[in-house]
Parts: sequence; C-alpha cells; structure tokens
Amino acid sequence: MQAVTVTAEGGEGGFWATAAPIIPHPLEFFFGLACFAILYVIVKQKVVPRLEQIYAERTAAIEGGMNKAEEAQAQAQAALEQYQAQLVEARSEAARIREDAKAQGAQIIAEMREHAASEAARISETAHKQIEAERQQAVVSLRGDVGRISTDLASRIVGESLHEETRQKGIVERFLAELESGDVVREKVGGAAGSQGRDA
Amino acid sequence: MSIVAAAPTDYTAPGVEEFWQPLFGTDGPWAITRPILLMLVATGLVVWWLLATTKKKALVPSRGQMGTEAVYGLVRNGIAKDLIGSKEFMRFVPLLFALFTTILVNNFFGVIPPFSFPTFSRIGFPIALSLIVWIVFHVVGMRKHGFIGYWKSLVPAGLPKAMIPAIFFLELITDLFTRPVTLALRLFGNMFAGHILIVLFITGGWYMLNSGGVLVVAGGVTWIFAFVMTLFELLVEFLQAYVFTLLAALYIGGAVADEH
Amino acid sequence: MTGNIAILGYGLSAIGPGIGVGLIFAAYINGVARQPEARGMLQPIAFLGMAITEALAIFGIALAFVFKA
Repeated sequence: MQAVTVTAEGGEGGFWATAAPIIPHPLEFFFGLACFAILYVIVKQKVVPRLEQIYAERTAAIEGGMNKAEEAQAQAQAALEQYQAQLVEARSEAARIREDAKAQGAQIIAEMREHAASEAARISETAHKQIEAERQQAVVSLRGDVGRISTDLASRIVGESLHEETRQKGIVERFLAELESGDVVREKVGGAAGSQGRDA
Repeated sequence: MSIVAAAPTDYTAPGVEEFWQPLFGTDGPWAITRPILLMLVATGLVVWWLLATTKKKALVPSRGQMGTEAVYGLVRNGIAKDLIGSKEFMRFVPLLFALFTTILVNNFFGVIPPFSFPTFSRIGFPIALSLIVWIVFHVVGMRKHGFIGYWKSLVPAGLPKAMIPAIFFLELITDLFTRPVTLALRLFGNMFAGHILIVLFITGGWYMLNSGGVLVVAGGVTWIFAFVMTLFELLVEFLQAYVFTLLAALYIGGAVADEH
Repeated sequence: MTGNIAILGYGLSAIGPGIGVGLIFAAYINGVARQPEARGMLQPIAFLGMAITEALAIFGIALAFVFKA
C-alpha cells in the first residue's frame, strides 16, 4: 500500500527510484552523519556523565550505608564501654565512701575512747585528791583525838592531869611522828630531855 | 525485477522502488526522503529519552531510568569493557552507546506501525556510521602506535620474512576495505532484506485475500507468517544493533591493543 | 519464467554462511551446555563469528544488486 503511493509520488523511471540499493543517497548520508554527530555530542556531554555519576553515587551509597552501620556499631560499643567505665567508677566510689565511713567511725570511736579515758582519769584523780584530803583531815583529827585520849588514859593511870605538860612539851605529836617514821623512842614523861634536842 | 514470476500478472513483488520515498515532491540526490525524517525523529526520540530518564539521577531508579541503565550497562560492561579492555574503554563508551541506541531505535522503526520502515535499509546511513567507526579506530590506533608503528602493528610478530608482504597486504585490505564495508553492508543488508520480506508477506497476503477461492486461506496463513516474521525481525534488529556495536568495539580494541 | 540470474547467485552465496552460522551456534550451545558459567565469555565470540561468517552472504546480496542490471 505504501509502495503504491510512494511510487506515484516518486515518479516512474527516476534514477533514484530504480537505482541499486547499495548506492548511497547523498543527502541521507550527510544527514545521517549530522544526526549522529548531534547525538554523540549530547551523549558525551550529558548522558554518559550523568549515568557514570549515578553509578558512582550508587556505589558510594552502598559503601556509605555499610560505613554508617559500622559507625553505629562502634558508637554502641563506645556507649557500652562508657557505661561499664561509669559502673566501675561508681563501684569504686561506693567502696571509697564505705572505706571513708569505716575510717571515720574508727576515728570517732578512738576519740571517744580517748575522751572517756581522760574523763575517767580526771574523775579518778579528783576522787583520789578528795580521798587524800579527807584522809588528811581524818589524820589531823585522829591525831588530836589520839593524843587527848592517850593523855587521858595516861592521866588516869598516873593519877594527875598531864594535859598541860604534854601540850607544853608536844609529846604526843612527837610520838606520833616517830610512830609514822617507824623508830619509836621510849621516853619518860616530865624528866628526860634526851630527845628534846631532836625536836628542835 | 520480479521474483515471483509465476504469480498472476497484476501482482508486482516489492522491489527497490519500495525504498525510494521522497517527500514534499522533491527528487534527485538532495531530495528530502522519508528515511531522513525517520532518522530525525529517531535521533530526537533517543535524545529526549536519554535526557529525560537520566535527569533525576535517582539512586533508586524509575522504570525508564532502569531501562536506560540496563542498555548502558550492556554497552559499557558487556561490550566496551570486554573488548577494549578496562584501561581505555571509558573514552569510547559515549561513541558506542550513541551507536547502539541510534541503531536500535532506527531498526525498531522497521516494525513499529506509524514508521514501518527501517532507516538503515537506506545504505547512506550505515555508511555514515561505519565511516565514523572506521576513522575513529584508525585515528586512535595511529595515535597510540604512531603512523608507521600502526601499519607495522598490522602484521603479527614472528612471521617468516617471506610471508610478511602477503600478510601485510591482506591485513591492509581487511583494515582499509573489508571491515568498514562489511560493517555497513551487514546492517544495511539485514534491514533491507528483512523489510522486503515483511512487505512481500503483507502485500502478497493482501493480494491473495482479495483473489478469492482457496487463495484466501493461503492469504490468511501468509499474514500469520507476516506476524511471525515481524517478531523475528524484532530479534534481528536488536541483534544487528548489538553486532554493529560489538564489531566497532572490537576494531577499536584491536587498534589500541598493545599487540595487534 | 522471467527473473534475474543474480538472485540465484545470492542463493548460492547464502549456502556457505548458512552452514557456517549453524556450526558456530552449535559450538556455542555445546560450550554453554557443558559450562553454563562460560556463557558471558562465549556470547560475544559467538556473535562475532556469526558476523564475520555472515559477511559472505551480505556480499552476495549486495553483489546481486550490483550485477542485476
């Protein structure tokens, strides 16, 4: 059908209508060159760079995804390590606090003990002093009493009052002092003056 | 020329006139022919398609971009990388990709209804493309080996001295003549013969359907065969685009190879 | 019977390439059947062989038109 119209248009008997098909038609040849040149330039300038860019980007994206995953894993690992470090730190902190508390407690106890000991020492010292004072007092009063009583006794035995003489001569005091020091010298009441020199 | 000589007298088998389709009443060597228009349409279509599908540069491709990438991958990795070598092939990928796409679309015009004419059945177009390939592979070869070195590299090393002139002559003919001519003629011949075959089946079938009688059945069968041949043509058209690009890559690869 | 003797010449010139292309694809199919993983490597070689073999038939059809007149 095509053939009919075309043959009619092309005209019968024209050279190109019946020419051997291996003779190139000049305009077709040059037009083919021109068209291909345009196509080539566009493909070279635009299409191939774009496609290469897509290739490269896709490769990069795949590699980038892998990198990202690795990064995330590394981050998780780092976080885990950090947690563990913190945990260890907290544990050591707790141990330290416990240790401190223990040390502090021991110190407090030691202080208290010391305090108590010093207090006890003080109390006992006071008590000692008081006892000493009382004893002194008792000695003083006893001395007086013993002297009077023994003079009384001696007076009764002698039959007369010796109070004045003993008081004058300080016999009782001397005796008591001798008694305390351990060497008792028997002496005569109202006579001997042998020991008087010692008193002076 | 009447191939079907025994046919009834008023049937004329399709011949070379079928391929002369001037438009707008022009004639002669500078006539604007229908194949020229088809070439224009095909080039525009290819340019538009390639630019449109690669515009977004999406990492997750749309269907169109996926198609373009598949074709590009075939040319880049299946043809250029294999035959030119991974060192220098990127220089020639645009050329091969442009060759493949333009031949493929123009060939498919042979079976796509509104066009129904394979552009490359007009020999001017295949000659133009093979001329480009021919110039390219000689120029890159000379650039690589030097002018003298290139011609020297035609003869394989280690031949007996006496054989060198004969082999050189043969290689010269192959390089200068056989390769470009067969490259152009192969594409032209396949498209030409395929188109004439389809036209023959369709017009012959139409004639038989109109003749009445037993011939109506034969006409029906012929039209079924026309359909089958169209499918076969589809395969051949793809194959010819592939083979043309493959051979172009092979010639370029041979020219830039260290051992010719 | 009218016609052109050149078309017979083309028919004759197609015999050789026909057999050749058949042999090439037979070898290709054999190779792929034995080693399916070699398919990618064999495919360009097979088509290359086909293209080169086919060149003779192409010459035939071109020359048929050249010597038609």
